Amino acid sequence: MSSRYFNPFQGLDIRVPNRFREAFGRYCQTHSEDGAKSSVVHSPFPRMVDMWFLAACLGAQGGRPADYDTKDTYKIIDASILSSDPWRIDALVLLAIGYTKNVEVISQPRDVLAIASGFAVAGMDRLLEMLGDGDSEPVWNLSDELDRLLKKLVPAGAHSQ
Amino acid sequence: MKLLSARFHNFRLLRDLTIDFSVDAHKKLSVIRAENETGKTTMLAALQWALYGDDALPNKGEGYRIHPIDWDIKRSAQVPISAQIEFEITAPIPGPSGATRQTRKRYRLLRSATETISGAGWRRSRSTPQLFLMGENGDTPLAEPEAIIVDYLPPELREVFFTDGDRALSFIEAGLSTTTKRDRVQRAIRALLGLSVIESAERHVKDASSDINRKARAMTASADLQKLTDEVEETEKAIADLEEDLKASKEQFEHLDEQLNHIDKRIGAALQKGDQEALAKELEGCKRRIRELDTQLDALDKAHSSLFKSASLARDLLRPTLESAMAIMDGLRQQGKIPNTTIPVLYERLEIGTCICGGTLDEKDPDGARRRKYIEGLIEQNRKEDELQKLLTEFYFRSKSFVYDQSRESMPWVQLYSEYFAQRTAVEKQRESEGGRMRAIEARIAALGNTDIAELRQNQGLYRQQRDDANRKVAVLQNQLANRRQHLESLTKRRDALLKEESKGQLIAGQLNAVQDVLLVLQRSYERICNEELKKVSDCMNAMFLRMIGADPEQNAIIRKAEISPDYDILVYGAEGRHLNPDQDLNGASRRALTLSFILALTKVSECEAPNIIDTPLGMMAGYVKREVLRTAIQESSQLILFLTSSEIRDCEDILDQYAGCIVTLTNPAHYPRMLVNPPPSPLVQILRCDCNHRQSCRICERRLDAVIADAATEAAYV
Repeated sequence: MSSRYFNPFQGLDIRVPNRFREAFGRYCQTHSEDGAKSSVVHSPFPRMVDMWFLAACLGAQGGRPADYDTKDTYKIIDASILSSDPWRIDALVLLAIGYTKNVEVISQPRDVLAIASGFAVAGMDRLLEMLGDGDSEPVWNLSDELDRLLKKLVPAGAHSQ
Repeated sequence: MKLLSARFHNFRLLRDLTIDFSVDAHKKLSVIRAENETGKTTMLAALQWALYGDDALPNKGEGYRIHPIDWDIKRSAQVPISAQIEFEITAPIPGPSGATRQTRKRYRLLRSATETISGAGWRRSRSTPQLFLMGENGDTPLAEPEAIIVDYLPPELREVFFTDGDRALSFIEAGLSTTTKRDRVQRAIRALLGLSVIESAERHVKDASSDINRKARAMTASADLQKLTDEVEETEKAIADLEEDLKASKEQFEHLDEQLNHIDKRIGAALQKGDQEALAKELEGCKRRIRELDTQLDALDKAHSSLFKSASLARDLLRPTLESAMAIMDGLRQQGKIPNTTIPVLYERLEIGTCICGGTLDEKDPDGARRRKYIEGLIEQNRKEDELQKLLTEFYFRSKSFVYDQSRESMPWVQLYSEYFAQRTAVEKQRESEGGRMRAIEARIAALGNTDIAELRQNQGLYRQQRDDANRKVAVLQNQLANRRQHLESLTKRRDALLKEESKGQLIAGQLNAVQDVLLVLQRSYERICNEELKKVSDCMNAMFLRMIGADPEQNAIIRKAEISPDYDILVYGAEGRHLNPDQDLNGASRRALTLSFILALTKVSECEAPNIIDTPLGMMAGYVKREVLRTAIQESSQLILFLTSSEIRDCEDILDQYAGCIVTLTNPAHYPRMLVNPPPSPLVQILRCDCNHRQSCRICERRLDAVIADAATEAAYV
């Protein structure tokens, strides 16, 4: 299915501030360095892009992407990875349109990715809080926090509309 | 005979223990309250050792260690062991004009031995008894103490006076052969009724007969008579040898029968815990299911992880932003700024084959082909619109289906998580349940210890073969004996006839006739005593048994009667004389009641004043039967010493209040802290005695409640 999609972010990098390096290493099952796997309980995210994307979604809750020093970043993965979940490409574009209120951003994939990265940085602290808050392991802490948050955001029956 | 007190020194856990027994005629019950593993059986063994020596120890003392297992070898490698019993004997002394008066003599019996520990082994010196007559002016040592003991407590009756509640069942145990059970009952009855005196007289008369036969041979007689007397002597000797062989073979048979029964019981107990092989299979199956469930849990872990990368989660979190972006694009569409909407619509029309106007787009139809060509032209024209519009157009329709996706996969994340959680909980529950099962099976396997059922079965087969061989040998010997006896009878007739023909022989023939008459009298007396006394024991046993179990034959009781048959079988009858198998048709309480009533009946009929010392007599009993067994035992025994656990005492406290003249409590300090509340006063492992009765407890004997122990055990099992 992904082959039907054109990935406008092909050739771009997904980068995050260096201060999150340890967090990505800890909470993702694939470590960029050695590809070693760790347990789901302590490392809930299959890949780094999954953590980054969820951070972007959470960051969007605040409405504004974070300002951060783009030089003090490191690449977590090539943005071509987004082709594996093409809906994410649409979601990122929609996020950019929603934020800029300008549809022309669609033709600027670098800007779209920058906006998304800004939201990701904005959402990272919240995500790390969610992973660490609670008496259980990160996977259950995060699940419980998301469950609580979404029950507030999406009242029951909202989807059937 | 009545026991006054007993003192034990270094006899296993009884390092230094003194117990007094009641001799009060109105309170003739002595109770030693002790829980399991608190020295009851040890004390029973120690008392028997004191009275009867090493042969009375389990396995005749072979391999049976007496010294305390934790004896400090640094202190000394030689352990002095002793057991001392004080007892009194009351005997009537004839007075003038047929009157009698009672004399009471008190004795002190001391048996001692030394065990020398060497490495992991030990050896025991032959124990020696010393008996003293206790007097006001000191104790007087007496010679041949065994002779006095044998008079008052015959060793043959050891199992009657000293009864292990479980072992007493050996008179009726199903596992034992009928022959063994009969022999046991017969031996107990014969010993108690003093029939050994008549047996000894019979032997004496037979010896006299042999002597006279030898006299006949010594006289100068005819060759025929000479030959016959030789043959009689040979046959008598052969009969004596055969009788010895028969006795030995019967003992061997009984021993093997008991061994076989023991193995049967071990197999039964092991199988009850579980067959190791079957348990191993069950464990393997359990482990396989656990592996499967673990695989499911791994898959569920992945599913859990996937929840964080799901489109649903993004959609639910981004919903306000997505809807805002869609609203912007919807506005553009309404303003006509996304014109390329025609392309997909036109494509769709081509695919459906129907024009917006309703006309056909079928290529075979001339109008359809025309319309089709027109629409394809419109599509081509739109392709030439600018790139942005194109991007927006494509994106608009694609993203709409993402934002407003109504498929099952797009259900709210909360719902996805809830379903996942329920599924995971169910699998985890199964996993926990299987884990618990696995631990239980492992515990059962551990409880089996080294019991190897296969090996036991192999031994069972060997013992069965040996027992059957012994049984065949007994049958052969009995047959040979019968033939020899018949032959002897014919020889003696012919010899007696020849003797009468010779003048010197007539005197000898007369002597032989007299001897045979005496023998006949003895044999008839023996049979009469057996029959009459057997019936007395049987009737007495029946009365006690029915009373103990509360069975009234007039009130349609299930059990109507118990008796000892002339063949020494203990039989039980139900309604209409139906035979009930004591081991199968009676419950545990009734079986114990039957054997205890047999033992008490024997003691009563013998009119022998001797103590009955019974270990755990009320096990497996409750309610009416338990109370009646206790009451009957107290009533029928001249001195009753009972080793009871707290659970046996339960519901019988008032009977103990009324009849117990002496109650002590024994405690095993090794039970601290699991079962005992307070730490022991000394680190030495030894049985401690306190004077608490069945209603009291002190710092030494205070126990935790059963429920608390059970809870602690459960907790420990989970840990």
